[in-house]
Amino acid sequence: MKFGFFKNILITSSLSLINFSNLNAQSNDILNSISNDMNRFNTIATITKQNEHYQPYIISVFKGKELENLGITNLKEALQLAPGVDITTDNINNKTPIFRGSNPLGYGQTKLFIDDVLVNNLFFDSYSEYLGMPIEMIKRIEIVRGPGSKTNGVNAYAGSIKIITYAEDFKDFESQDKFIFKYGSYNYKMGGFIKRFKTDNLDATIDFYYQEDNKKLSAGPDGYSTGSMSINGLYDNTGLSQNGHAPVWLKDYSLGLNLKYKDLTFKGRVLDHTQGSAYGINLSLPQDRDRVKIPNYYLELGYDKNINDFHVEIKTGVQYDAFDSKAKLAPNGLIFMDAYQNSIDGSINTVTFPDGINGEHLAKQRTLYQSSYLTYTGFDQHIITTGYRLLKEETIDMFSKLSSWTTGDLALVDYTDTFPFFNKNAKRNVQIFSLQDQFRYSDNLNFIYGFNYEKTSYKDAGLEPRISMVYQQDLKNIFKASYSRAHRNPSWQEMFTKNNNARQGSTDLEPEKVDAFELAYIKKFSSDTYLQSNIFYLINKNQIYNSADNPIYRNVLDTDIYGLEFEYSGHITAVDKLYLNYSYVTGNSKIKDTGVNTHLTNVAHHLAKGYYIYNINNVLSLSGIIKYVSAKSRISGDNRAKTPAYTTLDTTLNYKNHKYNYNITVGIKNIFDANVIYPSAPNTYIEDYAQEGRTFFITLRKEF
Amino acid sequence: MKKILFLYLTIINIAFGYNYDNVVLKAQASIFPKIILLDKKIEDKLIDGKIVYTIVYDKTDYFTALSIEKFINKNFQGHLGAYTYKINLVDLEDFSQETQTSAIYVLNLKEHIEKTARIAREKGIISFSYDINNLKKGLMFSLVIEKSTVLYLEKGNLYTKKIDFVEALLQMVRFVEKDYTYERNEGNMEYNNRFSLKKIYASLI
Repeated sequence: MKFGFFKNILITSSLSLINFSNLNAQSNDILNSISNDMNRFNTIATITKQNEHYQPYIISVFKGKELENLGITNLKEALQLAPGVDITTDNINNKTPIFRGSNPLGYGQTKLFIDDVLVNNLFFDSYSEYLGMPIEMIKRIEIVRGPGSKTNGVNAYAGSIKIITYAEDFKDFESQDKFIFKYGSYNYKMGGFIKRFKTDNLDATIDFYYQEDNKKLSAGPDGYSTGSMSINGLYDNTGLSQNGHAPVWLKDYSLGLNLKYKDLTFKGRVLDHTQGSAYGINLSLPQDRDRVKIPNYYLELGYDKNINDFHVEIKTGVQYDAFDSKAKLAPNGLIFMDAYQNSIDGSINTVTFPDGINGEHLAKQRTLYQSSYLTYTGFDQHIITTGYRLLKEETIDMFSKLSSWTTGDLALVDYTDTFPFFNKNAKRNVQIFSLQDQFRYSDNLNFIYGFNYEKTSYKDAGLEPRISMVYQQDLKNIFKASYSRAHRNPSWQEMFTKNNNARQGSTDLEPEKVDAFELAYIKKFSSDTYLQSNIFYLINKNQIYNSADNPIYRNVLDTDIYGLEFEYSGHITAVDKLYLNYSYVTGNSKIKDTGVNTHLTNVAHHLAKGYYIYNINNVLSLSGIIKYVSAKSRISGDNRAKTPAYTTLDTTLNYKNHKYNYNITVGIKNIFDANVIYPSAPNTYIEDYAQEGRTFFITLRKEF
Repeated sequence: MKKILFLYLTIINIAFGYNYDNVVLKAQASIFPKIILLDKKIEDKLIDGKIVYTIVYDKTDYFTALSIEKFINKNFQGHLGAYTYKINLVDLEDFSQETQTSAIYVLNLKEHIEKTARIAREKGIISFSYDINNLKKGLMFSLVIEKSTVLYLEKGNLYTKKIDFVEALLQMVRFVEKDYTYERNEGNMEYNNRFSLKKIYASLI
């Protein structure tokens, strides 16, 4: 009996223990699974900048789908929504985003990455050719203001823009195939598609678009009116100045291919960008079909591998870009000296060009690069990354053809060897070494510190430190502080342009440098409502500058810039979204060789932007965008009135069909036909560059 | 007339959709159903031997609720651990004491959140919320993406005899009380992606 009793206890205990063990085992599995899910979503949140407020720099993130519904049509329009970002242009319609008023005359102050590949062209160090990229090709835009985001040896001087296409792929967040058709003012036509292929190991995404328009904008009087191609007392061609319409049309083909096979990646893009010659490379109003081609191709192979506590990232790639102009450069009847002969012996022989001057110019560049980075995560509170990036940049083809300087005949003469517009042997090697530590002092306080060290075959940038801190006081209050030094190497045109009255390159240029101090405070009112505010102080040294009086590029501009930015995102009701930002920037510049001190010029001191989306229902949404850009004062010696302030208002209606998964979006931009003006450089187009007024568009997007 | 009425009802039914965050929705849809399995008294909540997961939505959010159902079905393929499950989409106005359910997931309701939470509490079932702000209105769990993914539990809503979570879950969550702030004295300030599984497993034994 006794034995039976103990036996029962033993059996019951054993069964309980088995049940308990089973429960524990099941709970372990479930907890493991939840833990894995959380880590997976952490990764997605970090990569997609879902947790942007905790990043150690000042960042704004815009999602492609939302921008589509807002009626944003391309990258340029999307950038114009960001705090502190303004757009400027030049005589060839090379549009440049200006971040926080930093050197509106320079092009490469900001960097553009597409799927982590740096795509700034070498010739201008700009990315104007990508600004027309249709928004439907873009999944997300991450805009970092200030140099704080430099990673993997890339210097972002005033800011960086990261475009993430629909090639990005996570489990449960797979992008859908789609095609797009768009039509708008100026006979704008666009068609494109995104197609994905996926097998167990291979993931491939192709995107393609074609777009064109016939845009012409009112322009003039052209640069001849202010003395371009005139020399006091010798030649007066001001009477040849023209008024009319600047051909600013575009024609783009773009094909992108992203492949991922196990740990290997392949990223390639071919962009064939052609645009009208705009305001003329020699400031004479061009003919309608005169054009500039700025193609941009890249191909990158990557290897990405986690090995225990190490992460290895190796990349090698090649990029091609070109400046390829074919245009009438001077009007009929031009009388000027034989510039070719003058370059040889200084003699001044007068030549008449009864049919004007035609020109064809090509400079084709190739950049080869290779980088290797190693990250070690084995320490408790540190993540250490170190590595190098090597670049070999060179011009691989160049020709220079003009109507005859000797006879004035219109037929082209090859001046490639005798009177080139560019140094055909242009070359530069760059080596960058970087070291960075992400230090988690506590759960609420994180630091990133490190440096870049750069050597080039011209002037070196040297050692550039960086430190930043993120302090999360609680869920509602986040503070950031950072100091960083960055530089911009001179662009190809600033170094190697020759025999040009308006631009003369110099290989003696030092890199432009900036010391940036930034403080930010983010107040989160709820999970989807926040106010981000920040102040910044930028000490810019050796900024590159030239002028009509002295066309040689030189490091003569020192500029101190300071300002503040506010960014609010939230909603008024449960069914809408309100986004607002305001930025103020001011400062002082000193032109060292003339000793002139000025306030910050050519810069809008106040920028205010905002949008509102109201979801009428699950099918229709109505939205509006408002942008205010304040007046811009002129640079020293330019006595024209300020470039006027303007306010634009856009509105868009979006219809979504859930059953067949398509959207139709119609919109009107600049409803009140505001006078949008971008400033021209002194002694060029005295009336500045007027932009388009009211326009409309309609888009059809179908997803599969 | 019928067509007009149908159109009217359709428009009313789909009016005013809230802007949901897709990453948060999917994270919640992946994790919340698994939490139900960590209740030691899950057997008491089965309906006809199944876990019934009810998504409570406002009329305006029907498509969102539908997409969550689709996502869960794709991921869980009809089984939560050893149990089969069923997902019910229930309009807020139809949710009552009579609604047969093992757990509820509440989307952003414009009103009656307290009432919904009270029903859940009285029924002794687990409640999940899309919006963390609704925890102070009586719902139990939410998930937020901060620097990392954080699972929140309103401690005040936990004390019911009908629910008994494994201890390890309570070490994993961050408690929230009256406001959308940290609770500083609980010693669980660590982000959840850094929680120690070893510690959690130790607590199971």
